[in-house]
Amino acid sequence: MSKTSFHILRVGFAITFLWIGVLIFKQPEAWGGYIAPWAMKLLPVPIEQAMMGTAVLDIIIGVLLLIDSFVWLAALVGSIHLIIVLAVSGITDITVRDIGILAGIIAIMVESLPESLISKIRRGR
Amino acid sequence: MTSFALLFTLASIGVSETVYLIRQRIASELPICPVGDGCKTVLSSKYSKIFLVPNDILGLLSYIIIAFIAAFLVIEVPPMLLWVLFIKILIGVASIVSLIFTYLQWRVIHAWCFWCLMSAFTIWLMGIIIILSGAL
Repeated sequence: MSKTSFHILRVGFAITFLWIGVLIFKQPEAWGGYIAPWAMKLLPVPIEQAMMGTAVLDIIIGVLLLIDSFVWLAALVGSIHLIIVLAVSGITDITVRDIGILAGIIAIMVESLPESLISKIRRGR
Repeated sequence: MTSFALLFTLASIGVSETVYLIRQRIASELPICPVGDGCKTVLSSKYSKIFLVPNDILGLLSYIIIAFIAAFLVIEVPPMLLWVLFIKILIGVASIVSLIFTYLQWRVIHAWCFWCLMSAFTIWLMGIIIILSGAL
């Protein structure tokens, strides 16, 4: 991936995560409606608190991506977060787009992995 | 809502751009100049600071404040009218400052800096959104 493409993707995803965080802050209960009933039962905290936590996480991921710091870590957490979102909400007309976002954020993670971590993974093989 | 989303998006792009410029300046490295070759001339000129404060820091602060206000307006954090007034004044002042810096590049420094122009267009676009938007 070229450097320019990487930075365009990084900033685009940063804005997406930040804006979703803001929107969840606006209506946490409404966003909680996407969670499947079986997943709701597993939550240790009320849905509103869980969604507020999600909003904070989204904003932290967005900020790290935006300022180009710990991008690999932000993208890793973002990928796990999106996998959980797809698992607990199911693939619907709306969440189907998260598949594309997930693929993009994984691409960012792979591209920004530090050399030291890549060598460790290779040595572990 | 769309206008707030646009303002937030533009402010985020501005944050990303100014953070890059600040990092390059701290590392004493020149930023990549994707178009033209005047970045070095403009960024090292005496006009790159206002009262000893580098313009990139002032820009970063402005963009962060604009992003926060746009978010507050979406979440409907009171006092809404004050936020609207504040964002209008901030973008208005930033537009005028950007106009002055663009004039300086054109007539005084005789060099164009890609990042400075990008920042100016970002601010002017915000101004256009505010003017055209009925929501603000």
